[in-house]
Amino acid sequence: MDFTFSEDQLLFQESVRDFLVNEVTPERIRASWLTDSGREDALWNQLAELGLTGMTVSEANGGLGMTVLDFVLLAQECGYVGLPEPLVHTVMVAVPLLNDLGGELAEQWLPKVASGEAKVVVGLEQNLLVEDAHVADLLLMQQGGTLYAATPDQFSLCYSESVDPSRKLFTVELLDSAAPVASGEQAATLIARTLNRGALGCAAQVLGLAQRMIDLSVHYTGERQQFGKPIGSFQAVKHHMANVAVRLEYAKAPTHRAAYAVATGQGVAAHAVSHAKLVACEAANLAAKNSVQVHGAMGYTWEVDLHIFMKKAWALANTWGDAGFHKTRIGERVFATDAVLGAGATFV
Amino acid sequence: MKVLVAVKRVVDYNVKVRAKADGTDVDLNNVKMSINPFCEIAVEEAVRLKEAGVATEVIAVSVGEKSCQEQIRTALALGADRGIQVETDGKVEPLVIAKLLKAVVDKEQPQLVILGKQSIDGDNNQTGQMLGALANMGQGTFASEIAVEGDKVNVIREIDGGLQTVSLSLPAIVTTDLRLNEPRYASLPNIMKAKKKQLDVYTPDDLGVAVTSHITQIKVEAPAERKAGITVKDVEELVDKLKNEAKIIS
Repeated sequence: MDFTFSEDQLLFQESVRDFLVNEVTPERIRASWLTDSGREDALWNQLAELGLTGMTVSEANGGLGMTVLDFVLLAQECGYVGLPEPLVHTVMVAVPLLNDLGGELAEQWLPKVASGEAKVVVGLEQNLLVEDAHVADLLLMQQGGTLYAATPDQFSLCYSESVDPSRKLFTVELLDSAAPVASGEQAATLIARTLNRGALGCAAQVLGLAQRMIDLSVHYTGERQQFGKPIGSFQAVKHHMANVAVRLEYAKAPTHRAAYAVATGQGVAAHAVSHAKLVACEAANLAAKNSVQVHGAMGYTWEVDLHIFMKKAWALANTWGDAGFHKTRIGERVFATDAVLGAGATFV
Repeated sequence: MKVLVAVKRVVDYNVKVRAKADGTDVDLNNVKMSINPFCEIAVEEAVRLKEAGVATEVIAVSVGEKSCQEQIRTALALGADRGIQVETDGKVEPLVIAKLLKAVVDKEQPQLVILGKQSIDGDNNQTGQMLGALANMGQGTFASEIAVEGDKVNVIREIDGGLQTVSLSLPAIVTTDLRLNEPRYASLPNIMKAKKKQLDVYTPDDLGVAVTSHITQIKVEAPAERKAGITVKDVEELVDKLKNEAKIIS
């Protein structure tokens, strides 16, 4: 079985990386912090023109009909630049949930999402706050065991500040006019799948964030001189970053495996996603810690770009299930009396 | 109107190029390769002419090893209709590239040929001019604006100290400067479509061109590193050094 990414998937990654690195610069991100919404319609339109917002929308609804497996490398690239726009959420969470809900709601909204006309945001109780609810044209919101669909006139928002200035978080209160779209067992299944997709999106993004922190640190330690040499040439410094690089490399395979499990609806998907989110966030956390170390005190300042990526990694680590939640899920599976463990059960 | 666009595979402009340890060439191991930025501008201009209804077909052509098909596919993803690769081994000098392009021009009979003014690896700035001479076509080099009007193409050229407007009879050669346009990014649907577009491969023999070399690359070396500066005590010392050491003021 060939687990390598296809030529198309790698080509998409390269193409999207070129776009994001050129267009989503730290300067542009800093400028977005000064705006009311923190979001840029022009950038969203560019993402839509490239076909990104419609990647997981079916071809019948104007999209490309791809899966989260096709998008996982692109989510890493979104993380690499610290993209503030809710692209990963749209492609990996909102669209698949709309696809699962189907019916008139999907037919009405999916073409608009693909064309970039509308943004759909999902709020689950797992996340206490809903990111980007202020720009949502449609909100799919969990309340208890029911999923509701609400347009902006059917909910009210209360802003809540995040450690990451790029994240716009809100407490959402649904009004009575919000319509239930799934309940009971159906809602429980959809909520579980959505949680997995959200956590997978986080894992992929933090891989990119960790890589960016490594790159920033390697660049800085290659320039900064001490005792007549770049500080990156000293073992005490380079080992810091080598440790991060190793941790990051070992976090990639579980994340890609989780994407495969989610895309193909495997029974191990929840377990694989938890594994991915844990190891990816650990790698990003180590990247943040060691990057601050090798930058010295200035690594913690507002002026140095490192914090843009560091804070996003911290924030994502506690979104769509924190470490405790995901460790518990893995523990429940591993210690179950009927657990099937070992290499032979990897893809069961 | 058929438009032929030449594209070259070069080291990506973001890559910090290094010379090989033995000084024989630039080290291309594990280096990202891309379409030459000036060629990308040429593709964009051709695609815009097609979108404006001026051009009917855009053909992207590249001369090089099989790997240059990646850059032809990039051009196809940006909007070119079909591609042509002239497969050669190793480095090919501008005159040979111009002769090969001339053979493609004879075969395709385009009304307009757009090339980048130079490639960012060789920096020769020769192929477009040589092709113009070989094909006996008028040339508008360093173009910052192109307008096709009937059987003429008006080209605004960027020259030292200003702009020059020339009018060329079609068929003609245009080489692009940086300010001609801002190339688009290839969309994912177009990247997928590009894989299905026609790409013909010719050898120099097919085109009746002999690949010969008149140039031998002797050595490649990195520029000398800048020496560290010094701190002067006051303006008087600065003026003294500029006058007596650097001798740049009198």
